[in-house]
Parts: sequence; C-alpha cells; structure tokens
Amino acid sequence: MITRPAHLPSGPSPDVIIVGAGLAGGILAGQLAEGGRRVLLLERGDHLPHEAIPGDHLRNHRLSLYGDNTSLDPAGHPRVFVDPTGREHLVPPHDARHQLNAYTVGGGARIWGMQAWRFHPDDFRMASRYGVPADSSLADWPIAYDDLAPFYDQAEHAIGIAGDHFGDTHAPRTRPFPLPPVPRSPSAAWLARGAASLGWSTFTPPLAVNTAPYQGRGACIQCAQCIGFSCPTDAKNGSHNTLLPRALATGRCTLVTRAQATRVLTDARGRVTGVAYVAPVSPGSATLASHTVHAPLVIVSSGALESARLLLLSSSPTHPHGLGNHSDHLGRHVQGHYYPIAYGVLPPGVEQTLTGPGVSIATTRFNHGNPGIIGGAMLANDFVKLPLIFWRQSLPPDVPRWGLANKRAMRDLFRRGIDVRGPVQEIPSPHSRITLDPTVRDRHSLPVARLSGTTHPETVRTAEFIRQRAEEWLRASGAERVWSWPPELKFSAGQHQAGTCRMSADPSAGVTDPFGRVHGHDNLYVCDASLHVTNGGFNPALTVMALAFRTAAHMLRSA
Amino acid sequence: MGALRFHSFAVMPLTPPLLVALRAVLDRLIPTDEFPGALAAGTDDYVVRALLGDSARELPLIIAGLARLDALALAHHSPASTFAALRPVQQDELLRSPEVAGDPFFHRLVDLAHEGFYADPGNGGNRDALSWQMLGYDPHGGADRPPTSAPATPSSR
Ligand SMILES: Cc1cc2nc3c(=O)[nH]c(=O)nc-3n(C[C@H](O)[C@H](O)[C@H](O)COP(=O)(O)OP(=O)(O)OC[C@H]3O[C@@H](n4cnc5c(N)ncnc54)[C@H](O)[C@@H]3O)c2cc1C
Repeated sequence: MITRPAHLPSGPSPDVIIVGAGLAGGILAGQLAEGGRRVLLLERGDHLPHEAIPGDHLRNHRLSLYGDNTSLDPAGHPRVFVDPTGREHLVPPHDARHQLNAYTVGGGARIWGMQAWRFHPDDFRMASRYGVPADSSLADWPIAYDDLAPFYDQAEHAIGIAGDHFGDTHAPRTRPFPLPPVPRSPSAAWLARGAASLGWSTFTPPLAVNTAPYQGRGACIQCAQCIGFSCPTDAKNGSHNTLLPRALATGRCTLVTRAQATRVLTDARGRVTGVAYVAPVSPGSATLASHTVHAPLVIVSSGALESARLLLLSSSPTHPHGLGNHSDHLGRHVQGHYYPIAYGVLPPGVEQTLTGPGVSIATTRFNHGNPGIIGGAMLANDFVKLPLIFWRQSLPPDVPRWGLANKRAMRDLFRRGIDVRGPVQEIPSPHSRITLDPTVRDRHSLPVARLSGTTHPETVRTAEFIRQRAEEWLRASGAERVWSWPPELKFSAGQHQAGTCRMSADPSAGVTDPFGRVHGHDNLYVCDASLHVTNGGFNPALTVMALAFRTAAHMLRSA
Repeated sequence: MGALRFHSFAVMPLTPPLLVALRAVLDRLIPTDEFPGALAAGTDDYVVRALLGDSARELPLIIAGLARLDALALAHHSPASTFAALRPVQQDELLRSPEVAGDPFFHRLVDLAHEGFYADPGNGGNRDALSWQMLGYDPHGGADRPPTSAPATPSSR
C-alpha cells in the first residue's frame, strides 16, 4: 500500500518523474506537461525569486570564496576530491574543487553567463575526424549535427537567444535568431580590428539575453554584475523563466523543491518503478522525511555529476554496480572545459565600458583544422569584471600585491584590462571519474561523490595552442602588454561538467541510447549534460537544451 | 566596530595591542592617497569580522603573524617601538620580510584586506562603496538608456 506524501496533489499519480529542475529538467517539464503528461518535478534546491539571490561579491557563482548565492543550506553536502598526486581533500560546495554548478530551480542557468552556442558539426564526430589517442575515450556521438539542428533552432526561439545570424556561421542555421545581438563595446571593436589584421573573422556571440523585450519580459539594462548573479530585469533567459512557468501553467506539473532524490527505485526484476527522495514534511518545514513516489517513467536530470551519482546510488541485486553501469561507463569520461586566458592592457584611448553582459566578440576560427592539434576552442572576450575579480586575476604579474603601487594599478588599469579566453574541447579520459566515496556520507547518510583522475594529456596540448592564439589576438590588436599562464594536467568538470552518462548506439559503449534512454531499461532516461560524448569547443548549455527538446519530442512521439 | 561589540574580552582573542597592529598593517596594505584607503573604508571591521566568522580557522595564523611583526619592530628599531609606532617607510620595509619569505600569515592578510576593500559594501569593508567610486564601478550602472545593438555582420562574409 503506497501512501502519497502530503506535499503532492491528490488525483492520479504522475506519468513521469523528472529529477532536477535545472536547465534540462525545466525544458522537459514544459514540453511534457504541454504535451498532456502529468509531471512531477523534484528539485533539491529552492525556487528563488530575484530578491533571494544576493549581490554578494564574496559569495556568488562567479567567485565563491565563502559560499554562493543560491545554495541556501550547503552544509552536509561535501565531495571528496582526489588531486593528481592521489591526495584526498574533503571539499565544501563553495570550494572550486567541489565542481558545483548551482543547486536551485533553473540549475546553473539561473545565474549563468548566457553564452548559447551550437556545437560545430565536427564536434559530433571527433574520433572520425582525428582518430582516437591512446588511453583516451574519444568517440563520435551516436547522432550527428543534423539530428540536433532542428532542436537547436527550437531552443533558440523558445528560450530566447540574441545573436548574429550572418556572422555566426560555424554551424548551419535555417532562420535568424529571435533577438538582435548584444551591443558591441569599444574594446570589442578594437579586438575586431586586431583580428581582421590577422585575417580572422569575428562576430557577436549568441547570448540567452533579452536584448529587447521578449516573451513578456523586459530587456537587459546592462548592469555590471550579470554573470554569477540573478538578473534585475529577468532578461537572463533559461528554463526557469520560460519552459518551467509554461509547465506550471498547464496545471499538470507539480514542482517540489528542497526534494533531494536519493534513489531510483526498481522492482525485483530490475524494472524502474519510481523515485525515493528526502523532502520537508510540509512546504517550509525544517523537518525532513523520506518519501517514495511511483511513475511509469523516470528522467534523471540532475547535472552531470549528480545524475551519475544518483544512478550509482540506485544499485540493487539486479544492478549491483548502479543503473546503466552494465558496461562500466557510468561516471567515467568526466569533462568540462579547460579555459585558457590571455590578459592584456588596452592602449590609451580605448576603455572598457563596465556594462554587462560584456561578452560581445568571438571567433570560431580555431575550433577545428589546427595543424597537429586535436579540436580547439572558440575564443571570446570576457564578461564585465567585478573589482575584486579584477584584483585577484587581472593585474599584470609584476604589479606589487599590496601598498600604494597596487592601489594605483587598480585605478589605472581597471578600465584598461582586457582578456580573451576560450572553452577548449577536452579529450576525454576513462580515468576521469565520479564514483561513490567509500566512507564520507552526506547529511542524508548517502555516500558523497568522489572525483578522481585527470583529463587526457592531449587536452593540455590543445589548451596550450589556444592560449597562444589568445595572446596573438591581443598582440595584433595592439595591447600594451600581454601575459598568460600555461595549462597543467588536472581534473576538469566545474560549471561545464558533462560526459558521465555518455550516449551510444552500442550498449557496450555507453550508458544510454541515442535518445538518452538507459540501455537495458525501457522507462529510465538521463537528460542533461551527462549525455555529451564530447563537450564541444563551446560553452555547452545550448546543446543541453537542444537534447532536452529532442528527448521530449521523442517521448511524446513514442507514447 | 560592530564585530567587537559581539564578543566580550574573555573570548575576543584579538587583544587591543593586536588590533592596533592589525590596523597599522591594513593602513599600509591599502594606504590613503588622493583616495581613501582601508581604514576609511572600514576594511579593518571586515577583517576582524571575517577572522571571527568565515575565516576563524585562520585567526591563530594572523595573531601569530601580528605578534611577530611587533617583535620584529621591537628588535630592529631603537628606540624600541611597536609596529604601529614606526614610520610608514619603516613599516613597509618590515612587511617585506614576511612577504618575501612567503609567510602564509602575510599573504592571507593581503587577500583578506583586498577582499573587504573591493567587495560589495554589504560585506562591511567597502563603506559607502569608496573603492568602487575610485574605480568608477557601479554594479547597477551600465546603460541607463535602452541598449542599442551592433549591426549584424553583413552577409557577404
Ligand atoms: C556562473 C555560471 C555561468 C555559466 N555560464 C554559462 C554560459 O555562459 N554558457 C553555457 O553554455 N553554460 C554556462 N554555464 C553552465 C550551465 O549552467 C550548465 O551547462 C547547465 O546548467 C547544465 O544543465 P543541466 O541540466 O545539465 O544541469 P543543471 O542546470 O545543473 O541542473 C541540475 C539540477 O538538478 C538538481 N539536482 C541535483 N541533484 C539532485 C537530486 N538528487 N534531487 C533533486 N534535484 C537534484 C540541481 O539542484 C539542479 O537544479 C554556467 C554555469 C554557471 C554556474
């Protein structure tokens, strides 16, 4: 006899449970609820209004020195980070080694930087294009760019992307972006001239921001906080302010917040039957209780690290190593993005405007076709800088770290600092993993994520190549001085975490089929950045969105 | 000193002489010139509060380091003097020894000071947004006009 948790509505049980109301989860909820499905959406974080996300420059998702601004109650959720020398570190969520995205309704995209890139067609066929380096797990996706293109298009219009249709040509598109590109800053115009002198073409990158009123919300006011923070005019687009409200408006979607899934339930034969979770006994209560809820379909959408953890936590006699781990791929091939940066000082007469979002010029010239290098990266300028972040990262290395000289350098250079950076397509390694820690447990007594290994050394070579191109760009543009630091071999996941439940046509080569359905299960799906076989030389979120639209369309078609 | 009022002297490990030394160091880390420095911005409040809160684990490190600075000042200057009583040039010279030695005390204090000074005023070390005024930074600022867009790239490329 199953009793229904008090916080769930009465009436028929859900058709589908989605674990995680992040970027992908919100899209799935919207599409499935509008398609007539009864959806239960479980989210471990809160549904935060703008006012509940502080503008704290020490505790936000761009700089989290002592905490962040969306995890209201982060205690009791550490991870174990194993560094490349094998030493273990117990790290809280705000520590960079924890690799936190954001635990809140909307996921990382609640406070993100909004770069909304399509992957390059060759990003889906890396192994075919470059061969497979020894000891790497580089592989082609089981789908091609053309399979995803209609869903990229759907995402761009449903979420609201501002871009440059004619300049942005690395991936074929059929119709213009729904919103005009962000304004180009004077320093970006300066970079455009530098790139032109090298024969590189540039354009205004695609951003998920309302450059004009769209879908009933206002336009960006170009405030100077932006990335890492909530948007004061709600012009920062994600699933939390588009597809999720649409889901809730149908009356068929129930969102339960502060509900952390602890296990995907299976019956004696191993068939998925529902989800167990921990949530307040009633909304707002501090007392937690364990609940179970059943549905014919379960979608895990908890972000790349937590989705893999949940499937590992769901082991049973029929699946002793976790659900979807029949071929030992679950939790492996963790990827993020190496992000080489070249810093420089603008010449007199060119100034930063100190308006957000800030990213307004990019080149995709180095994503592929780099002699002797596997893959590459898109290069772009940076988001508007917070003063403290500038102090920590952007002063020339020979400026004293304190005293009058430091203060004067801050004053002289704050509006003249510039940098160019890019997300390097990583070469995955099976040794870069998330597993369950054998000893450390979270506040619900569940084993925490244990992160170990490093990316493949080829990633470092590509990152070094991209760093040199970034320096070249600043030099050619006429920067007064240019500096940067060489990349090192490390574990990489972070905000762009991906790859832990890779898709494969052949069940022995991955965790899910080409639609995200877990091999060997007909009613369990994964849908988030976990599915990415490789993570592109671009920020990953538009691909996460396109996959969510594709998975939803597939589900609505098949039932 | 909001933070001080919270803590009776019995549990306040930053004794008055240490607080004097701390303020003197902060005054050299972010000095006053045409623009206000650490003390005018209340960065000392921020650092004390951090050392009693989020950075409490580092309090012993900072206390020991401040005590060493005073000991150095007493040993190397005649007539004998505390760090705070030295002239600014002498103070700067003295601060260079923990810096060059890579003393974690010094590097942590440099970080704490600048965190307070350049973070948002809500954190208490950047009173009236003094440092932001110096830099011309306004988080709400940006364009007070509706943004205008760059023309899309011509299709000829
Ligand atoms: C500051 C910042 C800036 C960024 N900028 C960009 C950018 O410019 N461009 C770009 O492409 N990407 C950017 N990203 C990354 C982007 O946000 C992610 O790629 C994207 O959110 C991934 O989507 P997802 O659905 O895989 O996971 P998420 O969006 O992380 O969603 C996962 C959700 O699952 C929830 N969850 C986890 N475990 C459980 C559980 N057990 N039970 C219930 N719920 C659970 C989480 O709380 C979360 O809400 C940025 C991220 C951050 C933090």
